[in-house]
Amino acid sequence: MKHINHLSAAALAGMLMLSLPACKKEFLDINPLVGSTEANYYQTAADAQAAIVACYNPLQQEVTNIQGSSELSAHFRWYFGDIVSDDAIKGGSGDGDEPQLFLFENFQGNGSSKLVLGEWQAAYKGIAYCNLALARIPEIDMDEALKARFLAEAKFIRAYWYMNLVTMFGGVPLVLEPLAPSEYQQPRATAAEVWDQIELDLSEARVDLPSVSNAQVGRVTRGAATGMLVRAHIFQSEWEPAKNLADEVVASGDYTLDPDYGNIFKESGENGPGSMFEIQFMNASGGNWGNSLEGTFTNVFQRARGQFGGFGFNIPTEDFVNEFESDDPRLGHTVFRVGDIMGDRGEFTIDATGMPHEYYAKKYFISSAEEAPFGDPNPNGASNDRVLRYADLLLMRAEASYHMGDVTTAVESINAVRQRAFGDDAHNIQGGGPALLDAIYHERRVELGLEGHRFFDLVRQGRAAEFLSPIGFQEGTHELFPIPEVEITLSEGLITQNPGY
Amino acid sequence: MLRHTIALLVLGWFLPGAWQQVLGQSTFVVSGVITATDMGEMGLPSVNVLEKGTFNGTVTDLDGAYTLTVSSPEAVIEVSFIGYLTKSVEVNGRANVNVELQPDVLGLEEAVVVGYGNQKRSQISGAVGKIGSKEITSVPVLRTEQALQGRAAGVQVSQNSGQPGSTQSIRIRGTGSLNNAEPLYVVDGIPSFGIDYLNPSDIESISVLKDAASAAIYGARGGNGVVLITTKKGSMNAKPQISYETYYGTQEPWKYMALLNAEQYAILQNESRAAAGLSPEPGLANPALLGEGTDWQDAIFQRAPIVNHSVSYIQGTGRSSTSIGASHFAQDGIIGGEKGRFERTTFRVNTRQEGSDRFRTGQNLNYTYIQRSALAENNEFTTPVVRALNMDPVTEVQRPDGEYAYSEYIDSDIANPVNQIAITNDNWTTNRFVGSAFAEYDILKNLSFRSTMSVDLSLGSQRIFNPAYDLGIGAGDPNRPAYEFREINSLILAENKWSNWQWENVANYKKSFENGDELAVTAGYSALYNQYTNLVGVRDSLASNDPDQAYLNNSLNAAEQAPTSSGGISQSAFLSNFVRVNYSVGDAWSFSGTVRRDGSSRFGENNRYGVFPSLSAAWNLKSLPWVDEKEWIDFAKLRASWGRNGNADGIGNFDFTSVVYNGLNYTFGLDQSQVNGAGPVTTSNPDLRWETVQQTNIGLDLDLYKGKVNFVFDYFIKNTNDMLAVVPLPGVVGLNPSATNVASARNSGVELMLGYRDNKGDWDYSINGNISFIRNEVTDLGEGGQPISTGTVFGVGEFVAFTEIDMPMAYFYGFETDGIFQTDEAAAANTAQPDAQAGDVIFVDQNNDGILDNDDKVMIGNPHPDFVYGLNAEVKYKRFDLSLFLQGSKGNDIYNGIFRYDLNTTNLPVAWLERWTGENTSNVLPRMSHSDPNRNFRVSDLFVEDGSYLRVKNVQLGYTLEPELAERLGIRSCRFYVAATNLFTFTSYSGLDPEIGSRGTLEIGIDRGFYPSPRMFMAGLNLNF
Repeated sequence: MKHINHLSAAALAGMLMLSLPACKKEFLDINPLVGSTEANYYQTAADAQAAIVACYNPLQQEVTNIQGSSELSAHFRWYFGDIVSDDAIKGGSGDGDEPQLFLFENFQGNGSSKLVLGEWQAAYKGIAYCNLALARIPEIDMDEALKARFLAEAKFIRAYWYMNLVTMFGGVPLVLEPLAPSEYQQPRATAAEVWDQIELDLSEARVDLPSVSNAQVGRVTRGAATGMLVRAHIFQSEWEPAKNLADEVVASGDYTLDPDYGNIFKESGENGPGSMFEIQFMNASGGNWGNSLEGTFTNVFQRARGQFGGFGFNIPTEDFVNEFESDDPRLGHTVFRVGDIMGDRGEFTIDATGMPHEYYAKKYFISSAEEAPFGDPNPNGASNDRVLRYADLLLMRAEASYHMGDVTTAVESINAVRQRAFGDDAHNIQGGGPALLDAIYHERRVELGLEGHRFFDLVRQGRAAEFLSPIGFQEGTHELFPIPEVEITLSEGLITQNPGY
Repeated sequence: MLRHTIALLVLGWFLPGAWQQVLGQSTFVVSGVITATDMGEMGLPSVNVLEKGTFNGTVTDLDGAYTLTVSSPEAVIEVSFIGYLTKSVEVNGRANVNVELQPDVLGLEEAVVVGYGNQKRSQISGAVGKIGSKEITSVPVLRTEQALQGRAAGVQVSQNSGQPGSTQSIRIRGTGSLNNAEPLYVVDGIPSFGIDYLNPSDIESISVLKDAASAAIYGARGGNGVVLITTKKGSMNAKPQISYETYYGTQEPWKYMALLNAEQYAILQNESRAAAGLSPEPGLANPALLGEGTDWQDAIFQRAPIVNHSVSYIQGTGRSSTSIGASHFAQDGIIGGEKGRFERTTFRVNTRQEGSDRFRTGQNLNYTYIQRSALAENNEFTTPVVRALNMDPVTEVQRPDGEYAYSEYIDSDIANPVNQIAITNDNWTTNRFVGSAFAEYDILKNLSFRSTMSVDLSLGSQRIFNPAYDLGIGAGDPNRPAYEFREINSLILAENKWSNWQWENVANYKKSFENGDELAVTAGYSALYNQYTNLVGVRDSLASNDPDQAYLNNSLNAAEQAPTSSGGISQSAFLSNFVRVNYSVGDAWSFSGTVRRDGSSRFGENNRYGVFPSLSAAWNLKSLPWVDEKEWIDFAKLRASWGRNGNADGIGNFDFTSVVYNGLNYTFGLDQSQVNGAGPVTTSNPDLRWETVQQTNIGLDLDLYKGKVNFVFDYFIKNTNDMLAVVPLPGVVGLNPSATNVASARNSGVELMLGYRDNKGDWDYSINGNISFIRNEVTDLGEGGQPISTGTVFGVGEFVAFTEIDMPMAYFYGFETDGIFQTDEAAAANTAQPDAQAGDVIFVDQNNDGILDNDDKVMIGNPHPDFVYGLNAEVKYKRFDLSLFLQGSKGNDIYNGIFRYDLNTTNLPVAWLERWTGENTSNVLPRMSHSDPNRNFRVSDLFVEDGSYLRVKNVQLGYTLEPELAERLGIRSCRFYVAATNLFTFTSYSGLDPEIGSRGTLEIGIDRGFYPSPRMFMAGLNLNF
């Protein structure tokens, strides 16, 4: 030690000190090893495939975190379609359970509600992944046919979300590309512009999508895109294109009605012969209450409380039950009545539920044997969300045909649905006139009951005030839901509120 | 010369030739013996003898003798020893210089550990709180953080749970961040994640760097304050000493909540069902038959042991010192006993060697083994506490057949808590190695250089085994609630590895000037690298239901389960340089200036480096003649400091970029299988950087009446700017917003410490109190100022905490109530509550718009205390000692979220016997109703309670054996004691414990069924050989 020269020690120390900054740049340059930065992604066909799956993913997110917070918002299609209509009331443990939904079902909701915010954010999240895929996949060097199909899937899903938005809020900001920070504030487009984009996306998607027989189960098909396009036209009372496209689907022979109506809502009936578009849910284990889900909450939300272990939402009304013809077997597949057996969960008695309701929704009921084997069963319902069924298409065809004056096609279409339901032709509808339109409306209500259509059907048919005024509906306001107030603020005034809110 | 030297050090570092001026002086050998006025003729070993203004020094031997080669016969030697006043003596050409030291009654010479060095208490110009080893071990502390509670003004320590091994939340001078508000822990120079691996008996001192100037040398990580922990090192020439400390104690709950008994429960349930048009549950129809029922609190709480053993050995030779410590600590939970056990075994070796007069090395090695079993705590869903408090008293714990019973009246989250404890198998095992080694060389007599390498490796294994069970009566009982059976067992095993290393090179320069001024410069580089990896495996259907046989390979499930395994890695790095210059002008002034520059891989590319400066000054008022002539003033010092530092520990490793993650999956195929999807989740923020904390501090230190009275006062303003907050983006963006540096907060306050000590005859007594007043306020939340809602409480189904501009962070937010509607007419007259009827709660429609909505929510409580305080009193009489330690908090509110009002069949406090049952029966608690159309249980001031408390933290009576007797027994000293912890708690809060920490930074004082701290009685023994 004594031989160490002071200067050499100083030099050594100096070297130690200086050796650190020498490697400074690399030392602090750490890139993620799990995941990849956005700039480095979207290079291969596998990346393209993952990017498209990511477009589908938000479809499964029915209970989502409000952006940037831990607050959860549920935005099931049946929340707005059924509960905010005369088909069902909210239910739950009381009025305080999902209180904001309670306000909406009484037409007292406003733009501060997290329910509309959740719906808005979920839609634009889905749209953002589609826009990203549509912007980045074209640059990828890969099989062109597969690329075209991927892009068509993204367009379909984008149109799906815009259709949710335009039917709920009217004209909304039309975002078709990933946004740069300077573009974050977007004004509302008109409803017509949004509908035009939906039609354009679905028309383009139709070309490159495979038919149902050539598609992997769960993927978007040509029939799905055509059917949704029919729905888009129906919503705008564009009867001619609606009828033509519906005719095309019928003529394709790709779809038939499942002979057993009750089977449609069973596990075995999923993606059945009459299924045109379903959001796929599986009985995955270990899901959680957040964004990343493979199962649905609909099962547990709609199941009766008490010994049935559900949350008891979407309680069918007396009025809805009375809509069914007395011998309509569909009532028994749609509604549980006191004394019915709720699968392996026992007999439905009022006391067993602990709540005063006499009816429960049945279509999304599952037995405990069908629940996830472990993990939290609540978010792990396996029932697919039946978004578009062939029966719906036939009834839209009937409605369009009626308005086109084609009574024959209208009657043929509605009777196809009724024959399947009743198992005979004794219940067929005869003749035309306003009675036929009423019959079509009746048929939609019972055939598609508690599948999230009723409120939106009433609005587009101009009949909402007639049926919903007794529960608070005001014409000129409640056709649309309020734009989330937060979004109005964040748009720096570019977005305006819907009239009446 | 001075300026020249600083310039050289700071700017040029080691320019060849610059040293020629200070090298090459003649030498002179001086020797002597050091004694002390209170130790008679005996020489003092281990005394430091230093040539003043240099690092050239030595240590006296066992006889107190020293020999030192100094640079000239005119040199000055400085003699210092803990507990004695440092003395400077001019050599004046004498070869033999004996020095007699005087005890440091005032403690002015006491060395206080500061960042990268020590400073004398008298010269410190920042705000530093010090806790010595005596205080740390005077009360048996279970966790090191506890040693800070009530001991240092401005430091608020609150436990996040009373369960053994649970973390504590520490706030130094308030909550200074919306994100991470915990201080930085630095143990022997190593930044440490958590300090639960330390054996409190190994600790020599804890310094709390409270103001920005003291913490500025930790730059981007010092913003929440810094806790510096120094372990015992031993000293050279110290006699071998073995110490043994042990205590054994028993813990028990100190309070049960008064809840309804079975009969009362049934009466309220029947009333509630009747109000909703439901007939009584058959089992509850005749309440009189039910009697007392089950006391679920009694069923889950138990007495539990706590035990500690700690051995240490210290020895020093002329050229080395060694300190060895080993300990074992075990604490069972008062809930679940060994299911909530925390066990810690530690082993530490600290050594120092002197290779020559100029060369020193040292090593610290610590190994800790922790085994922790834990029950769910502090949530309103799965904890035994919340289940015991909410469970109906009608259900018995066990059925006559010995099986645990399930409730027929309540389901959802409220399952049988005793069964839950039995089926919980959640264990953490941690093996942690923390070690460092340094080499130090005095390049010149006044310039030394130290290089330190340290590693912190922590291996944490978690094993969660969920056994199959079924509380059903017979197989497949359809009536059992979902949480009362599990058909298939499952296992989760997780292996986590944290490996961190740090390399620091520090140069120290010091110089004394002839006029008495002194200069000290510390400059260094630091590189820090953290890596975390984990591996998780999940399997179900294990062959055995025995937790001891829970290994993945015992799974009988041949089918692949997805995902069965997961794992990942994340890394981060810091690169920093820093300089500190201390300059003292005679005895009157001392100045300190610091600059640190920090770079981090966590910062966005546009802000990779930050610079953090500070300045501070201290003025010794005794240098003023009119103060000096006041004999009763021993010491008076005025301090002022300003500094800026950062808070970077709330930033995630890749928060600045938009990472594309896998896992955005979807289900395809007839067999419905998962297909991987990938996409970005958040927007990127290349500007992301640290939160900036700027703090100004003014302080006064006074020692009066020959050290009998001492007083410390501090006033501070601490502004946090650039606080990371997630500012919502328009929904059209579609991605989650990344955090941006937009928000600001201010904490300002006053801290006071006052101590008095004296002795009369055989009596020694002292009393020390501290109190801190802190005001917390959010001053900015970025564009739009969107408030932040946090703290969902499920019983009310809403957020209860709100953070917005001009208000304290996370204050309680909800409806103000105005009593109860006494009549249906009164209810009908209130249009804001269309569904109310007699017996429902009146909520105040603040804006009188006839609608009760979010606009009518107001502040209903503040979780931040007006002040927190601690008081420590000690009395010694002959060989007996008695101490009392009180700690408290005043003015804070607690949100009582214990009861699950969302489920209408929970048990309730007995206060509900006084509910509304008819006109003028109650104006506080509403009627019972299963349907609750008025939503009486929305978030309101009904659930906010005063959380003030005063706690007798510790009472201790000790007896030290007569030295003669001890000597005869062959021991140096021996002390026995008995102690009680949490003996009394004075509070009006109704829950199990008012001392509630936080769950995340923005959930403060929310009681979700808090696991209470136990009351403990213990007996202990300290032996020294």
